[in-house]
Parts: sequence; structure tokens; C-alpha cells
Amino acid sequence: MIGLALRRSALIPLVLLVASAVVFCLSRLLGGNVTRSVIRSRSLASAPDPAAEARLAAELGLDRPLRDQYLAWLAGAVRGDLGRSFTTRAAVGPEVLGAAGVSATLAILGLAVALAVAVPAGVLAADRPGGAGDRAVDRLGAVVLAVPEFVVGPVLVLVVAVWAGWLPALGWGTPAQAVLPVVTLAFFPAALAARLVRAETRVALAHPSTTTAVAKGLTRRRVLAVHVLPRSLTAVLAEAGPFLAGTLGGAVVVEVVFDVPGLGRLLADAIGSRDLPTIQAGLVVVLAVALVLTLATELLGRALDPRLR
Amino acid sequence: MRLLAPLVVVLALLVSACGGGAPSSGGGIAVALQFPPRAGYAFDADDGALLTKLGVAEPLVALDRQGDPVPGLATSWTQEGSSWRFVLREGVTFHDGAPVDANAVVTALTYVLGRPAPPRAIKGIGLQVAAEGPMTVRATTTAPDPVLPLRLSSGTTSILSPAAYATGQQPSPIGTATGPLRMTEIRGTEGATLERNDGYWGPKAASARVDVRYVTDPQTRELALRSGDVGFAEGLPETSKAGLQADPSVTFTEFPSARTILLQLNQSAPPFADVRVRKAVTTALDRNVLANQVLGGSALPASDLFGPAVPYGATQAPPAADVPGAQALLAQAGFGPANPLRVRLWTFPNRPELPVLAQAIASQLQAAGVDTEITVGQYDAQEPEVLAGRYDMFLNSRSYLSDYPDAASTLSSDYTCGGSYAIDRYCSPAFDALVAQLGIVTDPAARAQLYRQAAGMLTTDAVGVPIVHPRNTAAEKGVTGFVPDPLDLRPVLPVLAPAG
Repeated sequence: MIGLALRRSALIPLVLLVASAVVFCLSRLLGGNVTRSVIRSRSLASAPDPAAEARLAAELGLDRPLRDQYLAWLAGAVRGDLGRSFTTRAAVGPEVLGAAGVSATLAILGLAVALAVAVPAGVLAADRPGGAGDRAVDRLGAVVLAVPEFVVGPVLVLVVAVWAGWLPALGWGTPAQAVLPVVTLAFFPAALAARLVRAETRVALAHPSTTTAVAKGLTRRRVLAVHVLPRSLTAVLAEAGPFLAGTLGGAVVVEVVFDVPGLGRLLADAIGSRDLPTIQAGLVVVLAVALVLTLATELLGRALDPRLR
Repeated sequence: MRLLAPLVVVLALLVSACGGGAPSSGGGIAVALQFPPRAGYAFDADDGALLTKLGVAEPLVALDRQGDPVPGLATSWTQEGSSWRFVLREGVTFHDGAPVDANAVVTALTYVLGRPAPPRAIKGIGLQVAAEGPMTVRATTTAPDPVLPLRLSSGTTSILSPAAYATGQQPSPIGTATGPLRMTEIRGTEGATLERNDGYWGPKAASARVDVRYVTDPQTRELALRSGDVGFAEGLPETSKAGLQADPSVTFTEFPSARTILLQLNQSAPPFADVRVRKAVTTALDRNVLANQVLGGSALPASDLFGPAVPYGATQAPPAADVPGAQALLAQAGFGPANPLRVRLWTFPNRPELPVLAQAIASQLQAAGVDTEITVGQYDAQEPEVLAGRYDMFLNSRSYLSDYPDAASTLSSDYTCGGSYAIDRYCSPAFDALVAQLGIVTDPAARAQLYRQAAGMLTTDAVGVPIVHPRNTAAEKGVTGFVPDPLDLRPVLPVLAPAG
């Protein structure tokens, strides 16, 4: 396990290096006039001005060969300097990391709330097949899975913030502001995880060890807690990586709906204004997170399931 | 289910402890604005105008409700050939306590003139500034400029304290401007905090504190207003208009904007090199239907390049569609059922109303026998093509004022023979001569007359089709004092106050 972890960890910087070069080249070879786009993003109604574009290209280093631009970026990145935004002139690193922190907080809280609801609901549904809990997981889950975040979010805002006035409708920074985005984000993974837990719990309930535990006279609660739940959770935790990745995807929509300053919104704005340093840094950070999550999921799976070792 | 109980308790505690948003408390208000800073509040970007709108920064010259120049940081100005002499207001200090004097003004304007892409308001005129005395600044241009005071009313020429320019970085407006509201905190593109400047030289801000939130999604702005998170919101979705108007706790305002959605026609190539074809397209379109039905009244039908946002703009409704007339014009140009006119229509989705309008325009043209192929693409990719004349029709949205209330630069860049944004590729010596007069005439009434003539000439020559003038919207809830500014150039926030 440790050897595998070390080998895979060593590969991550290499993958990031190749990916950073690909992203750098692609973002600059997409066509169009980057300096004109940057000027328009700063000053919307500006008419084309070749002299101003040439001056700006020189200031941003865009008049240098692509190889030199990339090597300069790489040298900075190695020192922890991811460059300056073309549009705001602010350092990109703190901006991207701050936004990534917001997105990660949102995604982790969303997943935690989802699991806090889904695990007991799934176990309850499996324990009483055909009962109210089982039917709820089945039917309610189907509805929730069919409704996207950009519908759930405004509906929650309308009910909880506008009609009831219990919570703020937008923003980020206070616990109250986090509730609606987190709950919105939790809907989809909660429905998915509840179905997964229900299926795994049914398998665990049919396992000989569970039958033995019941025959020994253990209480139903103890059987579920000690013999069934760990088996159910193994499957859920093994899927934690894809779950978190999916939740991060949903977070982009939630960030727009609730005006949360996360990485999705930052990247969308940067792509719109051809702010190449922000796009570069944002995508590299996203890739790094994805690689680490993939490795963590693989290691977790091996730790929980001896058959994978 | 036992795990649910603690979760519900935690959520309930959070709700009770934190509560919902409040539009006003202790003399403060919260507002939701449509457009966040584009470039970290850089003056060489549109953010200079944003800082003026916020009531944080001020240029030398202010504007009255008609868009005429009035004293701001400068109290008077006089023209002497190709230079203007500005006398500064005595006793004004920046938010950091430094005095506003000629050296501070020269430092600020020199900085912005030296940027790689200086603001539109002052570029291309050879502007240079120098201190003539402790409180007098001389501004010189290459040629006599009749509207320099108007140019220097642009928020992009606002003056910050010398300390802001001494850092070597982009100057920060925190504590360095002169306006009725002092910026105390910037939260990226998320928001900013403003506090009343009690030492302001003019009328004090009505609120002690303003929490500015930049909310790009219109539906989110509406929900934030209705929930009470903010007390003022602008740019509300058209679908919310009826609901907000019916809500007694909300004051809803709709007002014109200095913007026109234009169907631009490429005159440098067939078929639109033929004025009869251009007039046929104009005649086939029913702009009243496009504004009132397709856009649901969120825009006014345009009969002219300039709309009701400016005194010289047209206010009469355009004529209804005349399909037989359009067909007759097309027949004269050689098009008909046997030889139908087929054209491409390009537009872009950044402004959501454009693709919708493009579909409706294609439908109306179809009734006159014109087949239209629509392409919705990215503006950045389309711009070089349309500027090079490699297009047929381009549905564009254009502000006809450039940072200051004068349309001369737009007429020059968009419609003169050598214009840098001459998408229609219109070239008329008579029109160029008319625009050249705008470089000489100072009298506002005479300039307004020239604008009317210029717009009339464009209509006569069928230089594109002005389709609609979009309308702006704003709403207050628990806040009062909003004064609509069709020019979108004057301070908005200083006059907003908590209700009651």
C-alpha cells in the first residue's frame, strides 16, 4: 500500500507538468486576438486599436515566443508564483486558491450533509423493504435525481428566503449564508447515496455473518450497527471520489445561483475575458485536486476491500 | 433517523443565530449591482465609471441631469485655443486627508494617460496636463477640443490621492478617493463596503454604510431583493416585472438606456451594397412587434440610432412593417420568388436578447421572401470577420455614448470612412463632413442639432437598422431615493437611504 502510494504520488507532478504545458498551449492557440479580448473585457465598448493592443501585448509578455512564455510561467510556478491576471493585474495564485477553498468547502459540506441523510435513510429502507422509508427512497429519490441544481436552488430560495424569510438568499461568509447552497448541493448525492446504501445494506443483511449475529440473539439495532453498516459504508466510501467530483460539478451551478465566489465562477469569468493566467492556474488546481482524489479513492478502496490488494 | 435530529437542530440553531439578511440597519443599506469590477477597479477600464456610480471617486467635472457639465472637483474652466484651464475647488481633501491640488490632479491624469490602452474618453486627442498654479491645471490637446470638460466628466478620469500612485502597483481606491462614500473594503468581484465620507465637500451621502454586492445572475438579484437580503437591485429580469410592480413593498422603476440594438448590414459587398436591398430589410421589419412582443416590453422600438435617453434622441415609434413595399424594393434589386435573397445573420449570446431577436428578425424577413441563415457564435471570433467586411448581417448591441455624454466618438468610430469600428462599412463624405463639425462646435444645442442630422442621414441611407433601445430596470425595498440615470454616468448610491 505504502509503495503504491509513493509510486502514484511521484507521478502526480509529472502529469501536472505535461497537463500544464497542454493547457498553456491550447489556451493560447484557440484563435482570436488575446490582447483585443483582454482590452474588451476591461473596457467593453472599446473600438479596435492596434497600437494599444501592441503596447498591452508587450506589457503582458504576449509578444514573446510561446516557448518563452511557458518557461517563464513554469519558472514562476515552481517558486509558487502563478502569475498575474491579465484583467485585474492581481496575483492569480491567492485568487485561485481562495476560490478553490470556497468550492471545496461547499462540496465537502454538501457531501457530508448528503451522507448524513442518505446513510440512515438507505439502511432504514433496506431494513424494511416495501415500507414507507423504502418507498420514500425509491420515489423521492427518483424525483430528486431528475431535478437539477439550477431548479432546486431558486425554489429553496423562494420558499426559505423569500416567503419564510429564515435565511439569506445569496452570498457566502456566514453560516446562515452557507445553509441553502449546501442543502441544494446535497440533494443529488443524497438521493444517489441513499439508493446505493439501500442496495448494499440488502446484500449485507443477506450475508451469513448477519444471519449468525441474528441467531446469536443480538438486538436488531446492534446487528445493523455492527454487522451491516460497515459493509454498506465500504461501498459508499469507495465511491467517495466520484461523489465528490460530481458534487464539485454541481457546485459550479450553485455558485452562480447563490452568488458564491468559488472556482467555477472564477473560471467561467476568466474564460469569458480570455484571462489566460487565471484559466491556467485554475485548471491546474482542478487537475491536481482530481489526481489527489483519484489516488485517495484507490487507496481507500484497497484499505477497505482486501480483494483489491 | 436519529442522525437527522442533530442535523435539524444544527440547522435550526444556525437559522436562529444568524437570521436572514436585512436591507438596512443602523443607517446602512445593501445593494445588488449588475456588473462587478472588470479589472480590480482600474481607471483605464470601465471600472472607473463604476467607482463614480458607487459615489466613491470623482472626476474634475460633474454632470447634471441633462448630461451637461457642472462643477465637480474643478469649479470653473475656460478654453484658450487647444488648451483648457481648470480651476480646482478649494478645501477638498482625499479620503486619506491629503489635499486635492493641481499636482495631485496632474499625477492622476498622467498615470491614466500613460496606460497601454488609455480610457476612450481621453485617448487619441493628444491630451497633456500640467500644473499652472497650486489650484490650476492646464490641459492641452493636439487640436482644439470643444468637449474636453465633458471628456473629463468620465469616471475613468477620476482623481485619487498621490499615495495611490506611489505604490508602483495598480492604484487602489481604498481610502484614496474624494467622493461622498469612502471605500473601506474590497471583496474581489463579490462586493465592497462603503462608508459615508462626513468630510465631503458637497451633499453628504444619505446612508452611513453601503454593502455593495455584485450579483451577475438577474434572477438571483430579484430573489435577493424580494427576500430582503438587499434593499436595492438593478437589471431585474423581464419575467419579474409584473410581480415586482404588484408588490406594495417594492418600488419598481423602468427607464431608457443609451444603447441601441442594431441590425448592421455589410455595405461593402452584395447584396447590401444596394441601398434598395437595405431599405427592403428595414421596411420588412416590424420593430414595434420586436420590442413589445418578442422582448415583452423590456425595450423600446427604435426609429433612430439615438433613443429617448438623450435629448436629441428620437421618441416617435418606427413605422410598422410594409411587406409588399419590401417585396417591391427587392424586386427592383433583382430578387423575387425565382431568385430569392439568401443572407447570413450573425449574432452572439453574451446579451441573451440577441439570439431571440435574431430568430424573430429571420421570421419577419421570411415573410418578405428573404431566407436567413442564423449563426450564434462568440463575439471575439466574429469581430475580426465583421470588421473585415466578411459578413452579411450582424445583430449587435452598442452604447452610443463612450464614458461621457457625447456621441461624437461613436459616430466617428462607427460610421465615418476611416472609422475603427465601421462594421456597416458606410462611407459618405457628406456624413464625414457633418461629424467633422462636431470637432469644432461647442454649443450644446448646436451639437444636438448635428446629432439629429447625423442620425437622420444614417436612416435615409439605410445604414443598418436600429431595432430597439433596451430599457434599464431597478427596484427598491426598504430603501428610498433612487434617481434613474439613463446616461448611466452619474453617482447612484450616495442618494439611496434606508426607508423610514
